[in-house]
Amino acid sequence: MAAPQISQEVLHKETLNPENEQACYECRDFNLYYGSLQALKGINLTVPEKKVTAFIGPSGCGKSTLLRCMNRMNDLIDGVRIEGKMLLNGEDIYRKSVNVTEIRRKVGMVFQKPNPFPKTLYENVAYGLRLQGMRKKRVLDERVEWALQGAALWDEVKDRLQDNAMGLSGGQQQRLVIARAIAIQPQVILLDEPASALDPISTLKIEELIVELKKHYTVVIVTHNMQQAARVSDYTAFIYLGELIEFGATDRLFTNPVEKQTEDYITGRYG
Amino acid sequence: MVTQAKNTDFKSFIASGQAWVWLNAGAVAISMIMVFGLLLLIAVRGLGHFWPQAVYDIEYDNGTAIVRIIGERVKTEKVPRLRIIESGINVRGDQDHVERSLIKVGNREILGADFMLTIAPNELSVKKPPDLLVLERTQWGNFYGYLRGVKERGELLGVAGLDLMAELESRLARVLHLRQRIEHIEKSEIGSINFGLEKLRLKKRGLELDGITEPAYYHDITARQNAHLAEYASLKEELDGLYRDLARDSIVLREMTGKEVEIKLSNIVKAYQPNAMSWAGKVIFYLQTFWGFIFDDPREANTEGGIFPAIFGTVVMVMLMSIMVTPFGVIAAIYLREYARQGFITRLVRISVNNLAGVPSIVYGVFGLGFFVYVVGGTIDELFYREALPAPTFGSGGILWASLTLALLTLPVVIVATEEGLSRIPRTVREGSLALGATKAETLWRTVLPMASPAMMTGLILAVARAAGEVAPLMLVGAVKLAPSLPVDLNAPFVHLERKFMHLGFHIYDVGFQSPNVEAARPLVYATALILVVVIVILNLSAIFIRNHLREKYRSLEQH
Amino acid sequence: MVYQDIGQHISHQFDEDLESLRSKVLNMGGMVEKQVDNALMALTRADGSLAEDVATSDYKINSMEVAIDEECTQIIARRQPAASDLRFVVTMLKTITDLERIGDEAEKIGRHAVRLASVERTPTYFSEIRHLGEQVRNMLHHSLDAFARMDADNALKIAHSDREINDEYDALTRQLITHMMEDPRAIRRSLRVMWCARSLERIGDHAKNICEYVIYTVAGKDIRHTSRKQVKSELIDSGNEQT
Repeated sequence: MAAPQISQEVLHKETLNPENEQACYECRDFNLYYGSLQALKGINLTVPEKKVTAFIGPSGCGKSTLLRCMNRMNDLIDGVRIEGKMLLNGEDIYRKSVNVTEIRRKVGMVFQKPNPFPKTLYENVAYGLRLQGMRKKRVLDERVEWALQGAALWDEVKDRLQDNAMGLSGGQQQRLVIARAIAIQPQVILLDEPASALDPISTLKIEELIVELKKHYTVVIVTHNMQQAARVSDYTAFIYLGELIEFGATDRLFTNPVEKQTEDYITGRYG
Repeated sequence: MVTQAKNTDFKSFIASGQAWVWLNAGAVAISMIMVFGLLLLIAVRGLGHFWPQAVYDIEYDNGTAIVRIIGERVKTEKVPRLRIIESGINVRGDQDHVERSLIKVGNREILGADFMLTIAPNELSVKKPPDLLVLERTQWGNFYGYLRGVKERGELLGVAGLDLMAELESRLARVLHLRQRIEHIEKSEIGSINFGLEKLRLKKRGLELDGITEPAYYHDITARQNAHLAEYASLKEELDGLYRDLARDSIVLREMTGKEVEIKLSNIVKAYQPNAMSWAGKVIFYLQTFWGFIFDDPREANTEGGIFPAIFGTVVMVMLMSIMVTPFGVIAAIYLREYARQGFITRLVRISVNNLAGVPSIVYGVFGLGFFVYVVGGTIDELFYREALPAPTFGSGGILWASLTLALLTLPVVIVATEEGLSRIPRTVREGSLALGATKAETLWRTVLPMASPAMMTGLILAVARAAGEVAPLMLVGAVKLAPSLPVDLNAPFVHLERKFMHLGFHIYDVGFQSPNVEAARPLVYATALILVVVIVILNLSAIFIRNHLREKYRSLEQH
Repeated sequence: MVYQDIGQHISHQFDEDLESLRSKVLNMGGMVEKQVDNALMALTRADGSLAEDVATSDYKINSMEVAIDEECTQIIARRQPAASDLRFVVTMLKTITDLERIGDEAEKIGRHAVRLASVERTPTYFSEIRHLGEQVRNMLHHSLDAFARMDADNALKIAHSDREINDEYDALTRQLITHMMEDPRAIRRSLRVMWCARSLERIGDHAKNICEYVIYTVAGKDIRHTSRKQVKSELIDSGNEQT
């Protein structure tokens, strides 16, 4: 046979495998109910450390809900009930003794619409730091610059840090929000459709940034845009009707998904 | 064919929605006309009052004799001749309709009435002599007459070559100066002595009530009382001297019946010759009078003089009300919107709050009187002002209770507006803050409240607009016809919340309906109403200015 | 799609685009097969005019390739196909390349057949090459058939039958060498036959490629340069998963 030696490698070219990664989040039989409606059904998922993990799925499938469970944002909604475990670094964040603000400091979040506060750029980035009681001007200055550089925004705004953040463009606002999130040096950054309200160029800049971010942070992104998930993520989870249908390396999932539902969804046959 | 075409035209006109546009535009136009008409009416009627009117010297046939009438023509109307004849007056000439004028003749102490009626045909001659003098006096209203002489200490000054008018003006200036000094002594210096004495009296009384008999305490009080009294005595002496000085000069005038009348300069506020005034002189006179109207105290049962205490009282009361209602309403709204569990009870509370806005204001007045004044005020008096009893301190109407009552009245507005503002803060902003590890309280304090501040200001604007115009409840809880002192002055503690106060709205009611001379006071009603509107507009504009500034600062709401 | 029991796209137009692409490729396949048939017939029957015909009609295949190429590019640009759709389009792209090459080979055979027909009236030398031609034709036919039905199992079988063609080709080569040694005057003609055999062998290789693409489309496994055993185990595994 021709070149049987190569064949081994070719067929087992699973360069990425979630099982081989250091786990950041682990969901164990995770269920979520809105009143009597079950929004998440028995999710078992391991989010790898310092990788980009994308959640895709149709609207209302529960992907945003799952993301919001990761920093307990769903606590704010009345009538939410949770079963199962959500482990962050091996510790259940839904334990009774857990300090929620502590969790949220470890897990930054960026939302669909850019939501800078109506303050100056500087105050926006320093917001989380001030919450932690940081007062020294010099330290704040340093961290603000560091965070803005981390969010690839420093060069664009370094001369107008005292301007109102609402004056930035949508894409800049979103990067500002990312800077605000990384200013408090979290471990994880959750992105809830971060580019859905942005124009294509801004979207690309955000995507570029996401790829940068994974060097230092675990990134979890929810997106409607499958191409975006394909572009930026290392791992992709397809969620449908509250269930995790398929989870695997993005390379494989987008060329050769195992599950028929995944195939239907990503080829546009869902309906 | 033509009607058909017209028909379709009409149909398409209706279908195009043009009809609605016209209807709406018409409604807006009518509202605008009404608002501006109202403002124009009170402006013209009120502001015209201060313009120096010409004074006429009329020879008049009143049917029995030919008399002389001196005065301002206030109003002129056409009346059927027959009606006048029926009333027993012989009308000269033969017109069917004659002009009848209302002449303000002043000189109330001599003539007994301020006004006279004349009919044009019987006015034999009408002159506007430039040397006709108008005196504005501290009592008895205006005086019209010819200046005949100036007296000093009862002695008529040499007549030859003396410019009587110039003499009068210079002496009047002296009198004004003296009067200012007297006013200063009476109001400020003696006022503060009285204030101190009253305090000492109350302190003594308090000591007595506490059963303390040691003479040492009383000694101290007596010493200070004596010091005050000594100070008072010296002031009194100066005052007596000033009054003597004030009474030095007098003038002699000839009035319309030809009688010579002596009037002391101390009684005169202003003396002018309107017929001799140039146009510029009239403008200056006008501005001076208007200035006086705004910044002087009222005289003669509010029918003369200015309205400053009422303006001041209104503004202070509205500000106190704002200071009380804003935090209260905002806190209530925050609880209702942010912390309270949204359910039946919250809905009930919200409905109740909204309905509070519909309760007639007089009901609030009754509540304020019954609860704030009698219960709360009475209790405060018993606990802290025992020494003043039975005279009430907080136990009768005062500016504190008035503003509290109005705060209660406007509370629903502030609550509703603030709640509305809070509900309009996008959830994403709160979530953004929470996601950075802020607690709910930190999020509220650092982000939500600043962003909702324009809405709070809107609530406050509505509250001010409503409160500044309320009169009915104030009559029960502290607004008075004439307040002896302002609620804010230079005597510690500077703000006297227990004091009664004057209010523009109440002032209008008082001048318009309760004054001894309603007809003469009517222009003042208009002028006061205009000032009330202006005060409210200024208060609102400043609040709107602040709100717009805040809005600009927290622009994000408009973006989302 | 025909090969999988899954629903239509939400975008009906996308379905139509893919269907039109597929039918065009099948059309091209049919044309290529015809060319190969004709070339073989011209060769074995020494039919000069038919051979001329074959040699001159390759341009049709070439222009079809260009057209289909363009269509694939359009689909990728406009639809950004994913998963099975992506594999399908990629397969089409590659398949037409192989088909075009097959067309080229047929053209070459045609040209040689023109020459051979002119010098050799009685085609006695073509019994061996006829056999090889038959095999290649069969293989091409079956692989196009498997392609049309997206039948991975058959495609796998056909891909492995390429080995027999190679064996046959080796045998024919040896035979021709023997001929040439026996009769040096026949070298010229023998070489021509040799080129034809070579072309046929290449056609077999291309047919095999097409089969491999079919497997890639259906199963998502790239089995090129892979041992038969592994392919078997992989296909069976993934087949199990898929059901």
